[in-house]
Amino acid sequence: MKSIRLLVFVLLMSSGCGISENKTGATFSPQKNEISRAERFTLVRKTGWTEIKIINPWQGATAVNQQYYLVRRGDPLPFGLDSASVIFVPLKKIICMSTTYISMISALGEEKSIVGVSGTGFIYSPAVKKNVENGLISDVGYEANLNKELILKLAPDLIMIYGIGSESVGYVGKIKELGIKVIINADYLETDPLSRAEWIKLFGALYCKEKLADSIFIKEARDYAGLRSFILRSITKRPRVLLGLPFKDTWYISPGNSFISTLIRDAGGEYLWSDTKSSVSMPYGIENVYLRAIKADYWLNIGSIGSRVEISDIDQRLANLSCFKNDNLFNNNNRVTSAGGNDFWENGSLYPHLLLKDIATILHPEVFPDNELVFYKKIY
Amino acid sequence: MKTDERKETFADLKSGRKTRFIFTGLLILVTVFMIMDIFLGSVSIKPSEVLRAIFSDTSSDYGTIILKFRIPKAITALTVGVALSLSGLQMQTVFRNPMAGPYVLGISSGASLGVAFVILGFSSIITPDSLSGLGNWILVAASWAGAGAVMILIMIISSRVKDIMTVLILGIMLSSGISAIVTILQYFSNETLLKAYVIWTMGSLGNLTASQINVLLISVSAGVILSLFLSKMLNALLLGENYAGSIGLNVRLARTLIFICTSILAGSVTAFCGPIGFIGIAVPHIARILFKTSDHKILIPGTILAGAAVMLVSDIISQLPGSESVLPVNAVASLIGIPVVVWVIMRSRKYSGAF
Repeated sequence: MKSIRLLVFVLLMSSGCGISENKTGATFSPQKNEISRAERFTLVRKTGWTEIKIINPWQGATAVNQQYYLVRRGDPLPFGLDSASVIFVPLKKIICMSTTYISMISALGEEKSIVGVSGTGFIYSPAVKKNVENGLISDVGYEANLNKELILKLAPDLIMIYGIGSESVGYVGKIKELGIKVIINADYLETDPLSRAEWIKLFGALYCKEKLADSIFIKEARDYAGLRSFILRSITKRPRVLLGLPFKDTWYISPGNSFISTLIRDAGGEYLWSDTKSSVSMPYGIENVYLRAIKADYWLNIGSIGSRVEISDIDQRLANLSCFKNDNLFNNNNRVTSAGGNDFWENGSLYPHLLLKDIATILHPEVFPDNELVFYKKIY
Repeated sequence: MKTDERKETFADLKSGRKTRFIFTGLLILVTVFMIMDIFLGSVSIKPSEVLRAIFSDTSSDYGTIILKFRIPKAITALTVGVALSLSGLQMQTVFRNPMAGPYVLGISSGASLGVAFVILGFSSIITPDSLSGLGNWILVAASWAGAGAVMILIMIISSRVKDIMTVLILGIMLSSGISAIVTILQYFSNETLLKAYVIWTMGSLGNLTASQINVLLISVSAGVILSLFLSKMLNALLLGENYAGSIGLNVRLARTLIFICTSILAGSVTAFCGPIGFIGIAVPHIARILFKTSDHKILIPGTILAGAAVMLVSDIISQLPGSESVLPVNAVASLIGIPVVVWVIMRSRKYSGAF
């Protein structure tokens, strides 16, 4: 027992020494995870490299960890690291398999590093779209339909993908075989808005702009917490909220432990399925949903609906809901491109207090009388 | 024809009584399942509440559930079961093939193509925003157009070739070709549209408006009435096309009439509910095993009742009474159908006499 304690002590000491010799000279707390809220990744700075661990990177994954080692360009490769998992930073060229990473990269002022995007039509950011038009960003195609020759030609330092489970292994394996580094981003699995925003720190590490990333996150966390406590102080009631649309006679219900459910709670609303817990959307029978939906005061995130008549076209029975009759329909497609790119998923991911303010304005207009909606719009 | 009017023997009388007994049993089953389908659903409602919702308190929440959700769905299930089983029986007889079904001629792949063009194909031309507002009728029309186009093509082929097996092979080739086009459309479409399309292929009974149910009922009734007139032709075709021709049947006319009937039945179901597989293959076999006959005068009503019963049971199971989730009805119908078909194959030596 004593010897183990001694060993731990020696190990701690030695790592401490390592930190003091760090080239960048910054003072880091040794071997500590620097991520405070996000549950799907950890970031630990070690001597000579930063260790990123992505935890359960796709829906339904259990006990899956993906480790990456970020090493500064030009530094010697630390001994004992799996070279396949080493990524040289700062990144100069990146390919994004999801448009949601764009806002975070832009916030760090690195949008020029984006050389390829999967589905360029879904980009909202006007600056990045301009780069697409000018030919600086190529569309690399979709998962199985990935244009591997183009990727090879673009020669990115990194492809950032989102984990869609074992199906993705096929194309990931092929890309890795080409010698291109891949990192799985699991931000969309975070169930808390601030946790999702904290993924900016991953980009901070990838672009060696840790301080900027930290300050963006700290400001966002402060804005969000301040707004939330203001809302909770000001409201007198919690309106009930319905989300989504049915596919035929099945309604995929976001569980109570989801991103949007947390936002509604923080905005002073009561999500009708806040009592449910699941890692995926739950397929509910439409009659079951209907029975609860009757009680809804507001209906948000209604697919890609732009008008009331589109809802009654999908299913006439939906027009009987009181939120429909009372004209309390709001959709999160105010800032969209003609091809379907939505800023809700770009800037909304990084600045969730803006989403919070929108939803609170909808649910409690008396608290925010003059606020104009950003991501949401009323459906007429 | 006078020679047919022979005296009924004792054995005939006995089997006639047995047939009547099975018909009565099936009729009771269909009624029971129909009532169960209305009483059971993903929302648990007490039987007394159900009766109150139907007869007195129609505007209550439960009244809406029963009148706007469950009863239309039960009527659709019944109609779909009847139409698909009946067209499956006709196809099995025309092709003299126990594995034929309503979709063997490419109706479902034709309908899929129409729907895929609407859901997937337009995504590059029309934005998803405007697509979502198209409503139910657009899909129905697209599905009808696709299925109808394929059927017309098959009928042109069928009127030019003599051998029915050639028609079968050409039908399968056509289906495969169409599926390939659908695959390409799927390949290039985004996830949301892909999901919308995949959900369509799973089939659904509960999304029809009152006017759509009326259209479905009228077209399926027309198909059923037409099929009752076809029973003699079908019986003759059982003997083989050459023999049927030699006893005076106009084989090509019979074929065309049967194809029209199947197109009306399976085409309208696919248009409104999506491709619901397996019921059409499995139920005719259930009817043959129950009635131990290949006479279409008995098999047609028998298949109609058995099809209604099986589809209603599939719908009850797919609602998973008491739980909030639902299963796709297509999958449930297949899971019920597969054991039946396996059973048929296992005892096919004894059974193949039906063809």
